[in-house]
Amino acid sequence: MSILADKNSKILVQGITGTQASFHVKRSLDYGTNIVAGVTPGKGGTTHLGIPVFNTVKEAVKATGANASVIFVPAKSFKSAVLEAVDAQLDLCVAITDSVPTLDMLEIRRALLASKTVLIGPNTPGLITPDEARLGIFPENIHQKGRIGIVSRSSTLTYEAVLETNRANLGQSTVIGLGDDMVIGTNFPLILDKFMHDDKTDAIVLIGQMGGAFEEEAAEFYKKLSSPKPVVTFVAGSAGVMAQKMGYAGDIISGGKKSVQNKKEILQNAGMIVVDEINQIHDVLLTLFPNKDA
Amino acid sequence: MNIHEYQAKKILAQYGILIPEGKIAYTPLEAKNAAAEISARGPWMLKAQIQSGAREKGHFLEKRAGKDGGIRLIYRKRDILNQASQMLGATLVTTQTGPKGRVVSRIYVEAYKNVWTKFYIGLVIKRISATLTLLIAPFVSGSQNIVERAEQNPDAVLKIPVDLKKGVHKSQIRSACAFLGLSENYVTGLKKLVTGMLKAFVQTDASMIEINPAGVNRRGQIFALDAKMSFDDNAAFRHPELLKLQDDYEEEDRALKAKKFGFKYNDFDNGNVGCIVNGDGITLAAMDMLKSNGVDMVCALNVKGGVDKDKIAAGIKIIMTNPRVEGILINILGGFLRCNLIAEGIVAAASEVGVNVPLVVRFEGTNKDEAMEILQNSKLPIIIAKTMEESVDMLTSAMKEAM
Repeated sequence: MSILADKNSKILVQGITGTQASFHVKRSLDYGTNIVAGVTPGKGGTTHLGIPVFNTVKEAVKATGANASVIFVPAKSFKSAVLEAVDAQLDLCVAITDSVPTLDMLEIRRALLASKTVLIGPNTPGLITPDEARLGIFPENIHQKGRIGIVSRSSTLTYEAVLETNRANLGQSTVIGLGDDMVIGTNFPLILDKFMHDDKTDAIVLIGQMGGAFEEEAAEFYKKLSSPKPVVTFVAGSAGVMAQKMGYAGDIISGGKKSVQNKKEILQNAGMIVVDEINQIHDVLLTLFPNKDA
Repeated sequence: MNIHEYQAKKILAQYGILIPEGKIAYTPLEAKNAAAEISARGPWMLKAQIQSGAREKGHFLEKRAGKDGGIRLIYRKRDILNQASQMLGATLVTTQTGPKGRVVSRIYVEAYKNVWTKFYIGLVIKRISATLTLLIAPFVSGSQNIVERAEQNPDAVLKIPVDLKKGVHKSQIRSACAFLGLSENYVTGLKKLVTGMLKAFVQTDASMIEINPAGVNRRGQIFALDAKMSFDDNAAFRHPELLKLQDDYEEEDRALKAKKFGFKYNDFDNGNVGCIVNGDGITLAAMDMLKSNGVDMVCALNVKGGVDKDKIAAGIKIIMTNPRVEGILINILGGFLRCNLIAEGIVAAASEVGVNVPLVVRFEGTNKDEAMEILQNSKLPIIIAKTMEESVDMLTSAMKEAM
């Protein structure tokens, strides 16, 4: 059934009337995504792109039975938008919003602990289950329905990973961008777990990057699985010179050694297949699934 | 965003953290007067204000600045004027500034504090758990900084989880004191320091606070002898007061320019390839791929989130006019960002400043076809690639030919 969202998901869009939201909601609708409601405070009772707009998430849920949301609201309103979705007990929020203050994310993560809502993002291209549901801003024309799950911490490299699965002629079950930010709603383990239990997913491509201990956490999780599906991994940032520019010194002080080489070793030791360059992913996939070679 | 030591201390003092008395000086005379105001007999510290650690062990490029580093202990009042004029306007190089160093435009004049022990204390964000972590380590004199120490021996740093709302429990402070070899008498002082740090962190939307070292006196008081604060750029809208503290001299011209257009620009020490991309991950991946082709990235412009074609053109010009750039790689995977806007930006920038070095463009995603058409219609000498590896290969061979 793919993971987190499919053609049966009932999706509402928070901040639906914005310019960027409108552009992408229209494309998602054209793609066949089941968008049932929009939420923009003060614009309740109107319709936008043919979708009914409500003042609050709760009203939208009550009227339409929506169980997932895509968030396009500006960063300033982000915290209250997520807390509203949590309060309405949505199963899933996919947050496209960028530039969210980190402290707001700390508060949001605290609230998520006591809720069933899964937050993907912020600052993510979103989630797409090809031919079923597009939640976010993924360039839908590059996706092909298939059996590889993709989860990535880098927005743009997600697209690159998609192209790699296409090159192997395997396509994607669900593609998820976790978001590029300092603190994100969902880390790797939850997504890996869902892919492991998804009968439409045969293997997973995981894209990591320098900084944080996200890949280490993924390795720790994967190591404990009995007979897991194969995971092909690329970690961006080997060249290293960006570390000083983009890196967060707090990472190293709080967590020890965090070079990309180190991350790769940890992932490899956990049993994942690690490639040095992103364009090697399709080769590995073809070795794993030779019969599907076109 | 980073700020200077004296600015960080001023903020921390507002949250009850003890700091030695000090004043900022832009001229030698100001330094002399400041010293007299702070203390009649000294000694004094003269501290070069550049945004870098390891200033004490740094050296000045100019001979006139003398052999000492950027932090000087002065015993005689009559030496202040001379020492301050040595440092002001001179270029301080530390392990963190790179070989070019930074010009010292101001000096912090501070009363020397007599302490019997020192330690490191920092407050940072633990990203995977989305929590704050307090870091504490004994002070070590010598060249090793806390990052290196933590990397070599993670156990050398005590890590205490901090609840965002509830703060730090007294029992955690007790164990921190024990870790540092401080008696019960210091629990109150340390608690005050930690509480102040946490408050300052939350109130200012900091991303990191480091006090290195904190100094302990016999009366149980703990002083911030040095301080470093970084702030979350995403929260800048909540803190107009902090934006005033930003020192434009600390940023490279091109980075500053890019920031004005809403983009991120990075310069690197080596290399000759300029990159225009839309994301940090793709910057890293392109860098790795270039390196395996034997060339290095010298600068990168991240136009993520760009929606205004004039701003995009202005951003692209920053790369095109960088004299160190001998080849340009544009790799855009459009999602939110629409490829056609980038294409229009490229054409606008190129028509203005010309395409003087090999330029390879690869588009994928949102509005890719329109973008390709724009490039083709422009008749500019632009090489078009289909994949990322192809773009890197095409650029490296075009650069070889151009040589």
